[in-house]
Amino acid sequence: MIPILQTHNLYKTYQKDGVKVNALQGVSFQVQEGEFVSIVGRSGSGKSTLLNLIGGLDTASSGEIRVRDKNLTRMKRQELALHRRKTVGMIFQSFNLIPSRTALENVTLALAFGGMRRRDRRSKAVDILTRVGLSDRSDHKPGELSGGEAQRVAIARALANEPSILLADEPTGNLDSSTASEVVELLQTLNRGQGVTVLMVTHDEASASAVSHRLFRLLDGKIIDEKSLRGMP
Amino acid sequence: MRMDDQFILGMANLWRTKLRTILTTLGVTIGIGALVSMVSFGTGMQKNVTQQFKENDLFTSLQVTPKKIDIDEAMSGNVESVVESLQEDTPVLDDSVLSQIRQIPGVAITFPEVQFPVKLKLGDHDTRTTLRALPADMGRYKPHNQLGHGRFFTDDSASAAIISPRVLKKLNVILQEGKEPADISLEDSLKGMRSLPADSILGRELEIITAVVDMAAVTRNPFRFLQPMATPPMTESLTRLPITGIRRPPGAFEGGGWLDAGIVIPIKTADAIPRLGFSSVWSLLSQSADSQGYSSLYVRLESIADIDTVKSRIENMGFGVFSILDQLKEMRRGFIIFDAVLGTVGAIALIVAALGIINTMVMSILERRREIGVMKAIGGSETEIKNIFFFEAGSIGLLGGVLGLILGWIVTRIANIVANYYIAREGGPHVDLFYIPLWLILGAMAFSIFVSLLAGLYPAVRAARVDPVEALRHD
Repeated sequence: MIPILQTHNLYKTYQKDGVKVNALQGVSFQVQEGEFVSIVGRSGSGKSTLLNLIGGLDTASSGEIRVRDKNLTRMKRQELALHRRKTVGMIFQSFNLIPSRTALENVTLALAFGGMRRRDRRSKAVDILTRVGLSDRSDHKPGELSGGEAQRVAIARALANEPSILLADEPTGNLDSSTASEVVELLQTLNRGQGVTVLMVTHDEASASAVSHRLFRLLDGKIIDEKSLRGMP
Repeated sequence: MRMDDQFILGMANLWRTKLRTILTTLGVTIGIGALVSMVSFGTGMQKNVTQQFKENDLFTSLQVTPKKIDIDEAMSGNVESVVESLQEDTPVLDDSVLSQIRQIPGVAITFPEVQFPVKLKLGDHDTRTTLRALPADMGRYKPHNQLGHGRFFTDDSASAAIISPRVLKKLNVILQEGKEPADISLEDSLKGMRSLPADSILGRELEIITAVVDMAAVTRNPFRFLQPMATPPMTESLTRLPITGIRRPPGAFEGGGWLDAGIVIPIKTADAIPRLGFSSVWSLLSQSADSQGYSSLYVRLESIADIDTVKSRIENMGFGVFSILDQLKEMRRGFIIFDAVLGTVGAIALIVAALGIINTMVMSILERRREIGVMKAIGGSETEIKNIFFFEAGSIGLLGGVLGLILGWIVTRIANIVANYYIAREGGPHVDLFYIPLWLILGAMAFSIFVSLLAGLYPAVRAARVDPVEALRHD
């Protein structure tokens, strides 16, 4: 089976305050379609950088990223925008919703970037918000939502354009433990019930272990450990 | 993302920061308002002048002078060459030339230009003005066929005088149009100003006083006049003519040269009035060569189409020909410069407004960094984000342009009312000083949008370059 995502010998070096940082030093791994994969590591281990590269927000210094059959490392900026729009959906620790727009509008904005006709957007957005269990809060602005609700809206937005893979960057980092497990459970439901491929980076190894098929441990920009926790159904 | 979505996003952003948008737009509004009112003053001036020329049928008029005087050369101070050219053997403008010109096809009427300064007296009041002598045939043409009251004379040696209302006013008579006497201020009435209907002005006798060199006095004692404090050897000559017609009030831009005669009398009647033989230094200079000739001839054409052929034929005879059309071409060049200067002043206001747009947009990008990062993360391309900001800038330009046109229109209306209040106080006719042609409306709109887009260029590029990783970093 061809993996939905594979990275090969990925390096990322950047300058921060005049100091050279080797964020990734030869990362290679694969994710199969329908899998829930977690990458755990301490802050500064390079896990967010890895996710940004796969999400097409940043470009690798060397190495290769393939999502389905497309090589990200050779893409131009316009193609990367298309990749972010159609192929991946990202959620963040700080939700990154647009505060002036309601939950529904945050989702329809993604649909608008996806090129959907205006009259189709609303019903589609309501559908997705229902999938994440938030249909009753769709007219509230992010400031009026709890952290858990805001992250659900972010997940709905990430799924709006039916991406091949959902990229979650510390999705529970800003949540208390009970809300955090709710969000992780939602990701699990989406993965198990609706076949959404999930790649999550987190420092919370316990909750990652509870839901993931496989788990990688990242330290100083290298994968130091791989665990198969449970088989794919 | 489709264009209309980008537009709506831009609008939503403007709407979110209403006060800032309004203030920025106000800057553009004032800039365009200044531009429009400035330029419309120039175009208004041009329109009024051209209109006045047209109404007075001046485009079919030519002035023939003995020798073409190179105005440019005279103005540049090269007096020697001008004087030299005057001293050359130049053909004389005499009666035989007059009849030759009369034969040229397309010429309707031609006669020697006679125009000289006079003092007019009506009752106890007097004033100075210019007298112009015309043949009775000119009564067929504008503006002489459109007198306000009375009739143009039908005989070249008639005892008649056509007076302008402006001169009448200087003679302390205000022409009463309609039943009610005209309003006269207290100040004017103390000076003896009266309002009279045309009926009681027509037929009244006008005293025309001209200055004459007293040749007898000069010959009696030629050296007396070289002494200091000597009185000039002048006497006055008096001619009485009845007022037979009153011209319509002249337009505000009429005046100067051919139009400025305060009084018009028949050409043969004028011949009988003793006067100094020149009305200007030029005619004095040109006459010195040969006192037999006329200083200039007036030629009127059947139609404007004949102007070039008639002009070149007279020029081939060795005379200088001046047409108002030539002058208008000169003036048009002048008006373009005038408009450009006025436009520049307006444009400076708009450039200041453009800086306001840049400031507003850069501010909003700084505030919306994270939002721009989010838009990039969910698939916004650089072009799309650039366009959103372009639409914002363009909308400010469009709105500012429309409001600026309205502001400019209001300002010119008010200025026109104020100006006409003062013009009316001076006895002038109502005039539209400003004119906003279609090209100015479209041009101002296009300029407003163009400048705004230009101002949006840098902010838009900056927005498109926002690094999403940086913008979305959790902190």
